Amino acid sequence: QVNLNPSGTNTPLDYANPKRYQIGGITVSGAKYLDPNTLISITGLKIGDPITVPGEDLGKALNRLWDQGIIGDVEVYVTKIEGEKIYLDFFLTERPRLSRFVFNGVKKGQEDELTKKIDLIRGRVVTDALMNTTKNAVQKYYLEKGFMNAKVNIIPRPDSVLANSVVLNINVDRGDKVKIDDITFIGNEAIPDKKLRSKMKNTKEKKFYKVLTASKFQPSKFEDDKKAVIDYYNSQGYRDAEIISDSVYNTSEDRLGVQLRINEGQKYYFRNITWRGNYVYDGKQLASVLGIERGDAYSKERLEKRLQYDPAGGVDISSLYMDDGYLFFRVDPVEVAVEGDSIDIEMRIYEGAQARIKDVTISGNSKTSDHVVLRELYTVPGQKFSRTNLINSQREIAGLGYFDPEQIGMNPIPNEAEGTVDIKYSVVEKPNDQITLSGGWGGPYGLVGTVGLVLNNFSARKATDFRNWRPIPSGDGQRLALNIQANGLRYQSYSLSFTEPWLGGRRRNSFSVGVNKTISRSITGDNREQGAIVINGASISLGRRLRKPDNNFSLSHSLSYNQYITSGDFINYYQFGSSDPNATQASANSISFINTLSRSSLDQLTFPRRGSSLSLSLNVTPPYSRLSENFDKNKWIEFHKWMFDASWFTPLSAGGKFVLNTRAHFGFLNTFSDKRDVGPFERFKLGGSGMGVGNFIVGTEFVGLRGYEDQSVSPVDPKTGQNTGGIAFTKYVAEARFLVSPNPAATVFVLGFAEAGNNFASYRNYNPFKLYRSAGVGARIFMSAFGLLGFDYGIPFDTYPGSEKKGQFHFMIGQQIR
Amino acid sequence: CGDYNKILKSNNVDQKYEAALKYFEKKDYYRAGVLLEEVRPLLAGRVEAEKAAFLYAYTQYYERLYATSSELFRNFFDTYGRSPFAEEGLFMHAKSLYYDSPDFNLDQTSTQTAIVAIQDFLNRYPESKYEEEATKMYDELAAKLERKAFENAKLYSQMRYYQAAVTAFSTFQREYPSSTFNEEAAYLKIVAQFNLAEESVPEKQRERYFDTVGFYQAFVDKYPNSKYLRSAEGLFDKSTKQLERLKAPTNTANVEQK
Repeated sequence: QVNLNPSGTNTPLDYANPKRYQIGGITVSGAKYLDPNTLISITGLKIGDPITVPGEDLGKALNRLWDQGIIGDVEVYVTKIEGEKIYLDFFLTERPRLSRFVFNGVKKGQEDELTKKIDLIRGRVVTDALMNTTKNAVQKYYLEKGFMNAKVNIIPRPDSVLANSVVLNINVDRGDKVKIDDITFIGNEAIPDKKLRSKMKNTKEKKFYKVLTASKFQPSKFEDDKKAVIDYYNSQGYRDAEIISDSVYNTSEDRLGVQLRINEGQKYYFRNITWRGNYVYDGKQLASVLGIERGDAYSKERLEKRLQYDPAGGVDISSLYMDDGYLFFRVDPVEVAVEGDSIDIEMRIYEGAQARIKDVTISGNSKTSDHVVLRELYTVPGQKFSRTNLINSQREIAGLGYFDPEQIGMNPIPNEAEGTVDIKYSVVEKPNDQITLSGGWGGPYGLVGTVGLVLNNFSARKATDFRNWRPIPSGDGQRLALNIQANGLRYQSYSLSFTEPWLGGRRRNSFSVGVNKTISRSITGDNREQGAIVINGASISLGRRLRKPDNNFSLSHSLSYNQYITSGDFINYYQFGSSDPNATQASANSISFINTLSRSSLDQLTFPRRGSSLSLSLNVTPPYSRLSENFDKNKWIEFHKWMFDASWFTPLSAGGKFVLNTRAHFGFLNTFSDKRDVGPFERFKLGGSGMGVGNFIVGTEFVGLRGYEDQSVSPVDPKTGQNTGGIAFTKYVAEARFLVSPNPAATVFVLGFAEAGNNFASYRNYNPFKLYRSAGVGARIFMSAFGLLGFDYGIPFDTYPGSEKKGQFHFMIGQQIR
Repeated sequence: CGDYNKILKSNNVDQKYEAALKYFEKKDYYRAGVLLEEVRPLLAGRVEAEKAAFLYAYTQYYERLYATSSELFRNFFDTYGRSPFAEEGLFMHAKSLYYDSPDFNLDQTSTQTAIVAIQDFLNRYPESKYEEEATKMYDELAAKLERKAFENAKLYSQMRYYQAAVTAFSTFQREYPSSTFNEEAAYLKIVAQFNLAEESVPEKQRERYFDTVGFYQAFVDKYPNSKYLRSAEGLFDKSTKQLERLKAPTNTANVEQK
């Protein structure tokens, strides 16, 4: 406010007639600690400036001072007016400033959280209002956590170090956590208490068996829950249902009772539904899409869903229009008559013109390049707007795994005059690189350590320029995986692979190259090397999604080469590479061409509820035995191997928490000639968790069979007595899964299974119905950083020759295919 | 200037401030920044506050924390609009935003903010000694936005979404009429339109070849010496032949002109 110093001048300020002056002088009074010159500079006023008094210049100057937050109060006075010159004085009251604040009675971990909530800024003046808001914020914080009796006391104490400053001591006595003893309803006749209680998601009774359910009382959540109760009534036709009163009372020191008094009102039904303003579709078509019959219980919620957006999927009225470009479509249901318990509805429709997409843009991609996202989208410029395409595009973006799936935004910005729409997607990047460090028991090798690094959003293009490394070159959607496994000298394995998901940038043709090297040595107690095998390999593969017979099919080809070099004892042990018993080193080559045709229609990967996945793969080497006699069978490995895997998911409960998974797996291995025996490569071993270590040497396929020891269901070569593995296997599984926690950070499910399988050494003995059976239970947890972990306990029903019949525990890491 | 940790732990504001100035002079921007951040709230209302705010912004700038420094420079300008450093502050605000702007194929929100900031600076200080540098930054940022729009349109061509490519190139031409990419965009638009016509159903082919011819005519008028002229002409020839084959009963005047 502008005050006139009474002794200054005798020309009073006329508020109706602002006058222009020139500033003749500015003074600051009342400041003990603050510097007057600084304050004057903060006001933004300068001697000699023109100024209108009264006017907004002075108001702005006061605001600037206020904004600093360092003064208690400020007023401006006109000390004198000499002709055109005006002299101003800013009179201020200083208040102590906050130098720091201290919590007492607050858990260390909660201090940071609280500090964020209370918004205290050091250096600002401390006012009563500030202390009050702080106190309220702290109290509210504890209230939300269920401490209804928390006491907060803020005591300012002068800071001995800094003049005119105070330290705020925020003392908190949390008291006991208050839990809900009892939730009661009065006046509900149509719907039982139990049903209503279940609708209150965050207000729950404390019961000894509800270990996982929090039963604290949170006022804001309580309001939501009351609304949920009414929403439920509305959805059942009780359009007028209301909560007349609610009371929350103490039943004891730390227990609450909650009582809701409900007026249910009458139950209503739909009667006639009529359509107006529709030209594209007739009333009959619209009625059949709407799917609400005369006589159905009246539910505004259901009506809205069927009109606007039905998350259950399928076609709703809006999608009918909005998938065909009618972006400006609106529908307004109006209750035209309410007679007795019947309601007539008139749907007033505005169809508008069809809109075409003009611009498609992405924002928020601070790491991932535009094209990586754009190429996944179904919404492209020039196309008619389609809401389904928009939603599918969102799903594709989420599927990339580079962005927070909860924060993918889609914003169509229509331009009705032009008949176009711009689509803006917004994303938030999330970290998606994985580092694995693990140690595991590796059968004959003892402890094997693994270091793995997977970069899921790598950019080879940017890798050439160090300026783009922050901290690694990323953003082009490529995958780089590096894996090192070692156990000292005895076993080392290195692999590196690179994948480009869109080779050539035209289509989703994934291309990958990989190299690997493995060394395995047999070392005696006195550190002497008895034998070794070295495998050098490289592979190249190309995979693509097919459009026929449908979009779920994909085909992949991969060509790989492996060279095996054995020395010492290992020449005899592996029996390949050389037929000369006196050789000190031998080598063998394997060139194989793997072709896989697969189809997957799973609804998601971590906990599939419906859909199936089928895969047929053929792994074949050149048919040396048919080509020429000159190929040494020890040097050129020959086989053809067929694998078939099928897996179906069927939901057993409506919510999709209970799911049945049935699977069938087959594998066959053979050579191209009757004269050539099937070698030690690529054979099958069944039993246990199916996690084998050591499969790298001869490419043994480990298949789980729970209830039996690892690799135990495998025929023994009668000549050598070695467990070399079979050449044909079958396996059938039925698994019932129950989802315990759908939390994407840690998805947990438990399962019960029954399975059966067998493994044969020759085709003469092959019998797909002679099986070793088992059953058991288990649990899995999926964590985004680690992948899938789990354990099973299985009980065998049969005895495999050479092994004991007893229950087995199995641990597993990673998703098992078979 | 003594032990850094000791100063950091002390409660003496003046000593901390002095030490911060010394660290700043020695180009130890990290330590200067930490100390200035500590003392800044306690200096509010004192003479030193202005300098502290300005130098603190610079420490963040030199530490390459451009998002933070841009905000600090802006706050400095808003608070101390009368300061002799106000102009430099506003310029540094824009320059921080300029450095904060990422590659063209990433989110360009900060590029747009930077462009607005530079415009604002040039409007306020048209005679500034930073005028030349500011203009250069402006041009560079504007070119980045052009490149983004152009490359994204090109992506549709590459993926053989021809209709999308034609739409995107047309939008590009309208939004960036003076861009250096315009010649290539005009050419690629002809290519996309021609390919679209080629793979269209017979009913739509005629109209689409006509459009190809129209795009070609606009192209030769605007870029008579273009390096793409030969291949564009080839598409024009093919289109006219197709049109002849499709033989419309009426209105072929458009084609015969050439």
